[in-house]
This record gives sequence, C-alpha cells and structure tokens, in this order.
Amino acid sequence: MSRYLFRRILGAIVVMWAVATLVFFMLRAVPGDPIAAMLFDVGDPAAADAIRQKFGLDQPVWVQYAKWFALVLQGDLGTSLLGSQVEVTRIIREAFPRTISLASLSFLIALVIAVPAGLISALKRHSAVDHAVTMVAFLGLSMPDFWLAILLIIVFAANLQWLPAIGYAPLSDGFWPWFSHLILPSIAIGTPFAAIMARMIRSSMLEVLRTEYMQVARSKGLLKPRLILVHALPNALIPIVTVMGIALALLMAGTVVVENVFAIKGLGRVLIQGILNRDYPVVQGAILVVSAIFVFSNLLVDLVYTVIDPRIRYE
Amino acid sequence: MTNRTPKLSAGQTRRIQDELRDAYDFDPKDPLFGLSRQDLSGPRLGRRAVLRLMAASGTLTAAHLVPRIGTRPARAQSGGTLAAGWSGVGEIRTLDPAQINQVLQFQISSNVLSGFTHINTELVAEGDLAEDWSVSDDGKEWTFNLRQGVTFHNGDPFTADDVIFTYQRNKDPQNSIHSAVIANVADVVKVDDHTVRLVLGAPQASLLTKTLERSSGRAMTIVSRGALEELGGSQYGLTPVGTGPFQVTAHSMGQSVVLEKFEDYYDPERPKLDKVTIAPIIDAEPLAAAIEAGDIQLIGGNPIAPEIVDRLLANPDLVVSITPAPGFQSIWLNPWREPFTVSDYNKPLEELMGENGFKARLAFAKALDRDRYIQQAQFGRGVACYGSINPAMASFFDENLGESSTQRFDLEEAKRLLAEAGYPDGEGIPALKLLHTPDQRREAQIIANMLTTSLGIEIELDTKDFPVLIDEFDKMNFDLCRLGSGGDYDPDDALVDWMQTTSKFNGRLRDMNKMPFGNFSDAQVDELIEQQRLETDPDERRALVQEANRITSDKLASAFLFHPMDILVHHTSVNFPPESRIPGLVDLDRTTIST
Repeated sequence: MSRYLFRRILGAIVVMWAVATLVFFMLRAVPGDPIAAMLFDVGDPAAADAIRQKFGLDQPVWVQYAKWFALVLQGDLGTSLLGSQVEVTRIIREAFPRTISLASLSFLIALVIAVPAGLISALKRHSAVDHAVTMVAFLGLSMPDFWLAILLIIVFAANLQWLPAIGYAPLSDGFWPWFSHLILPSIAIGTPFAAIMARMIRSSMLEVLRTEYMQVARSKGLLKPRLILVHALPNALIPIVTVMGIALALLMAGTVVVENVFAIKGLGRVLIQGILNRDYPVVQGAILVVSAIFVFSNLLVDLVYTVIDPRIRYE
Repeated sequence: MTNRTPKLSAGQTRRIQDELRDAYDFDPKDPLFGLSRQDLSGPRLGRRAVLRLMAASGTLTAAHLVPRIGTRPARAQSGGTLAAGWSGVGEIRTLDPAQINQVLQFQISSNVLSGFTHINTELVAEGDLAEDWSVSDDGKEWTFNLRQGVTFHNGDPFTADDVIFTYQRNKDPQNSIHSAVIANVADVVKVDDHTVRLVLGAPQASLLTKTLERSSGRAMTIVSRGALEELGGSQYGLTPVGTGPFQVTAHSMGQSVVLEKFEDYYDPERPKLDKVTIAPIIDAEPLAAAIEAGDIQLIGGNPIAPEIVDRLLANPDLVVSITPAPGFQSIWLNPWREPFTVSDYNKPLEELMGENGFKARLAFAKALDRDRYIQQAQFGRGVACYGSINPAMASFFDENLGESSTQRFDLEEAKRLLAEAGYPDGEGIPALKLLHTPDQRREAQIIANMLTTSLGIEIELDTKDFPVLIDEFDKMNFDLCRLGSGGDYDPDDALVDWMQTTSKFNGRLRDMNKMPFGNFSDAQVDELIEQQRLETDPDERRALVQEANRITSDKLASAFLFHPMDILVHHTSVNFPPESRIPGLVDLDRTTIST
C-alpha cells in the first residue's frame, strides 16, 4: 500500500509540473503585454522598460522558465507584476481560507439537500415525490449559479435585509459574521451541485436496490432504516464518492463567478484576474495550487474507496 | 443634485412658494438687498438672509427649498464609520503614489497622502502642504513655503528633506512609473527646513495643477522616508504612510481597505469621520444590491455601470450627484488604412476637404448622432464631444465647438461627402473592424448599427481584452478603435498626451518607416500646444488651448464621441459637502454621516 501511495504521489507531482510548464509557455504565447496595459495611462516607455527589466521579462522565454523553476523548487513563487508587487504566496495564502470556507459550506449544503432527496427519490421511484425531486433537480442543474446568486442577493440582502450582500468576514471576526457572509454564496454554489449529486445518489441507489443481496436482506425481514443505511447506501457509495471528489475539486477552483458576484477574493478570482491582467507569476502560482488540489483530491477519493469497499486494495 | 421629483404635501408646497416670494422681494438697487445690517452681520446668517442673498446673486432655485434635495452645508457633527464600495474593480493593487496607475487608487490615496497643492471644485489649485509660493520672473524657479507643524501618520515630522527624498525617489524610473511627469523639474533645492525651491527646465503653466497637485501629480505626492524603510516598498504600497487626514490601518487586498482618522492632521477641523472601509465590488448588480441593503453608504471607484444608475436614482434613500467628468471618448480612424487615409495633415483645411480619404473621415464623423448615441449607450448621461478638452476643465472648454466644428452631426452632408469620396451608400468600402474592450460591447454595437444604417458602411465588432487592445492601438494595427481618456483636469492631460506628433498615445509603437506619424500630426497644433505649456497668463493660455482643440476637431484627429459624466452615489445619511465634490475624486475629509 505504501508503495502504491508513493507511486501516486510521485505521479501527482509530475502532473503538477506538466500543467505548470504548459501554462507557463501558453501564457507568454497569448497576446497582450501586462506592463503596457498596466502603464497605459502613464504611457512612459522608460518606466515600462525598467519594470520589464526588473522582472526579467525582457529575457528569452527559456531563461525565464529556468529561473522561475529554480525559485519554485525553493518555495518562492515570485511576486505579482502589478501594483504593490505582493508576494504570490501571500496572495494565495489570503485567498485560500476564503475558498476553503466557501467550498466546504457549499459542499455541506449540497449534501444536506442531495442525500435525503436522492434517497427518497430512489426509494419512492416513480411516485409524486420522485417526480417532484427530479423536476427540482433539473431546475437546479439548469440555473446558472451567478443568476441564482444575484437573485438571492436581491431577495435576502437588498429587500429583506436579513443578510449582508457582499464581502467576506474571517472566522476570527466571530462565527455569525463569517457564517452570514457565506450563506448566500454557498447556497448559490451548492444548489447546482446538490442537483447533480441527488441524481447520482438516486441512480446509484436504484442499482443497488435491484441486487440479489438486497432481495435477501428484505426477505430476512430487516427494518427499512437498517436496510437502507447499513446495507444499501454503503454499496451505492462508490460512484457517489467519485462525483463528490470531482465536485470538491471543482468547488475549490471553480467558484470564480460567484466569488465575483459576492466580492470574495478566493482562489478562483485570483486566477481569473491574474489571467485578465496577464499577471504571469500570480497565474503560475495559482495554477500550481489548483492542479495540486485536483490531483490530490483524486488521490484522496481513491483512498476513500478502500475504506468504503474492503475488497478494493492497491499494490 | 438629483433628477427626481419628490412628492410634497400642500403645506410644504405653500411654504416653498412663500419663501421664494419673500426671497425675491427686494429692490435690486438696494446695496443691502432689502436686509438690515443686523441681518447681514455675524456670527451667523439666518435662513431668510441666506435665501435673499442667493436670490440676489441669481443662484437660488426651488430645488434649494425642497427638503432633501440640493446643496446642503456640511453638518458640524463628526464621528461615525462610513462603508464604501468601489465600483468595477476587483482589488486595490497599490496606494503608493509612485506606482499608482488607476484613478480608483488615487481616489483613496488622496485622502491618505498630500501634495503641495490641492485642486478644489473650481479646479483651482489651493495650498495643501505648501502654504505659500512665489515664482521668479523667468518662470523657471518656484519657491515654496512649506506648512509647519505637519506630521506623518507614524509621528515623523514633515520637512523639506521629505520633499527632496520624494523627488529623488520619483526621478528614477526604477522606483516610480511617474518619473516623466517631473522630467521638467531639473532640481529641488532645500532652502531651509520649511522652504524648498523647484528649478524647472522651462516655464510650465500646469506646474501647480498637474505636477504638484496631489491627484494627478503623483510624482510629487509626499511619502514617508521612515515608513518606506521600515515596511519595504511592497507593504508600503498596501498600507502607505502619509500626511493626509486619514491613515490606512488595514488592507486585505481584494477584500477591504480600512482608513481611520489621523488625530494629528494639520487641520483640526478635518477629517470628520472616524473610520472608512472600502470594499472593491466588481459586478454592477451586487454593487447596487449592496447600497440598497445598506451594506455600503457610498460608491466610488470606476464609473458606475450606466444600466444601474436609473435604479439608484429612483431610490429615495440615495443621493445621486451627476457632474461632467474630466475625460473624452472617441472613435479613432486609422489614417493609414482605406478608406480614411490622410497622408499629410499639415495642409490647410480647404485642401484636405478636397481629398477622398479626408472626405470619408468627415462623413463618418458627421454620421455620428452623438445625442442619440448618448441616449442609447449611456442611458442619457453624457455630453456630446468634439474635442479632447472636456467640460470639467472649466474655462478651457468651448461650449460652442459643437456648432462650429466640421464634425457636427449632419446626416445629409455625411452621405454627400461619402458619395463624393467615391463610396456612394458605402459601396466599395470593405468591412471595417471596430476594436473595443468587452465592457464596451453595447456601445460598439450601437455605433456599428448607426453607421451601417445611415451610411451603408459594414462594421464588424472586434472585441479584445484591454492589454491586447492597447497593444494594437499603440502599433496602429486597427481600422477603427474605441478609446479615450479620463482623469484629465489640465489641458496638458489631453493635448500633450494625445494630440501632438510625439504624444505618448499617438502610435508610439508603430513601424515608423511605414507610418511617419500615428493618428494625427499637425505642425501648427504642435506649436500651439507647446506655447500653451509655457503660457502662464490664464486668458492667453485659454485662447491657445481652444485654438489647438478646434483644429484637432476640424481636421478630425479622431471622431470625437462623448464626454462621460461623473456619477457619485451615496446614502442620504451621508453628508457630502459641495466643496468636496470634485469630479473623479472621492474626498472624504469633510464628509460626515448621520446615524
């Protein structure tokens, strides 16, 4: 098992390196000079050249890559090209807790909605409840999350004034400030995911409920709750956990639209703004982190399989 | 001033009518305007006397008498926290004057750092860190008496040494992106601890209003030596230390900037507020929701998206103040591409009028129904533009240019000119690409539609990110380009930056072998602009500026489109006094908030 882990971790690092390298060269192939854009209003070529020189942007791409790579190995992700030239590690470090808070809460909300909905849907197949849940699931899937986000802001913040419209408060400010700023965005993000997961849970449960061992369990006269929760659900978990793993990774990096709407500076926003501004070091650093999240959550899901299903073992 | 009509009770209406009648009830020949000496003397003027004086000076309107509308004197109460939202931006990247490159950044830093002078609502420079100044006869040496007893936020005293330090720091392009602004300042000499002398290379008319003013002249915005050493450049950019009425106590980039009252500010009357928090809010809808929800009470930053302004105007809890903004926006027609080719602008106008390329340019500009464009694209907010000199530049702006310019809207004339140029109904003109940024898509569609329906010219939209757009613009690699400028308070900002042959926005990166000039080049205009730079007599300078501006308009340096409006939105609980209302800036030192 430990040999398996070692191989997987090595593989993960190789993937991260490949992604980072690809992004490094792609960024520089994209038209648009970050320094010229930054200094447009100022329009001073001497100032622009001075900054390019400072950041080594006037050197050949291979040289830039070698330098960047060497620094990364030492844990130095460089600084932003723009404005105060804040360290990339600091930018990511400040954005990370926001994304984690948002992703976790969204995930939780998604679970809270999806698990009961999916279970009931599967157990009462083709009933009115099942149809209702299916309809709502399709609605949730079809709604763009930013649209739902804006709707929630209008109703709960602007009109009812129950919750703040925008922003983020760290946990250190108190539980309620942190929570109240996160409820609306989490619902906006969590609802589409809940819809996906509810469908997943439903179909997976239906598969399991049809199996022979479930017939045996039923004929043994076991009570419904025990049947479902002890015998059916654990067996249905493998595909569900796969989807959850993908969902969590997506949540970590893909919440940028909702982050924009709620003015929360999470990883997604850092990445997108970096790209729009052609802020190379920030994009490179953020991509490293995002690819790490994806590969390691993949690994985590694979490890969780061994817990769910003892038959699965890795060599 | 807002555009809403409030509902008044019969009693209120009667009272307003009575007050108006009384205010105008005086003999115009009476030197005391029908008031007694006691009415007019201090320590306070009563309401009746104030209204009478306003009527006598012609500035009284019914709006002043209606509750909650019109200018209000700043309330004396102080204290409180103001929450502000900064529109259209994701993060405040820097507040270090040497690195500031966006208006929204110096809206904040101008509350934290000071310059020699401070521009007021008349756009006249008043003393800030400089109390007094004099100039030598040849206009090249300016001596400034610095204000005494001023301290930085960290307790260090402000002296001439800080001026020298700021100057040295900003002269080096490695430290500052604004070194070109002080290129004309040959030296800064310390006369004593509170007196400095600036030695200029050549006399400069805009010294006080551009170079030394705390907003546009960021090169001479005074920074703290001690704080820079202690914090390092990067942190200083996030939490700068200056001599202004507010200090930065926290800055979480992308989330919020926190300003707090600086107790030892040199003017004990300012600031009034205890604390200001500023959150960048990039999308328009959440911004509107935030101010409606009361999460924020003031909107600053980038111009507010025009589509939400009507909604904010309709909200009785909000005050929306609309004034002309300092800027201009144009459609640039590449003179090196068909059909708008012009090879030599130096020819007299009559001669240019005979050329097909120029006729096509003129046709394009004359087909632009600017009023309709403003109505459709800017929701009715804007001023038709015929030159780079904007209305916020006060006396420099020529209101009559719209009547006299060759560019004025005339559709029949436009069609005739286009036919004469050899393109009747637009036949023969290939599809032209209109370069613009994603934000301007709606505007570009409206322009394209206007030109296609009226002249038959086919226009394709070419949407590019801003870094790509300015790259293409600088290289003259476009057919049509939608671009302009903002934050232009002094004629130099418009004429020197855009309209001279060597201007930085005039095709700087073009292939000089193929294109001897960029968008525009006229020797007479170059000469006029140089003269106005040196001319210190305001009336003379105005004549030169208006002449240069007129020529750029008549000769179609670009198809000028509109001057944007500066829209300030705040909650009625916020008292934003008229003296602070400078277009493009958000001065908070006199602002108060009532609980």
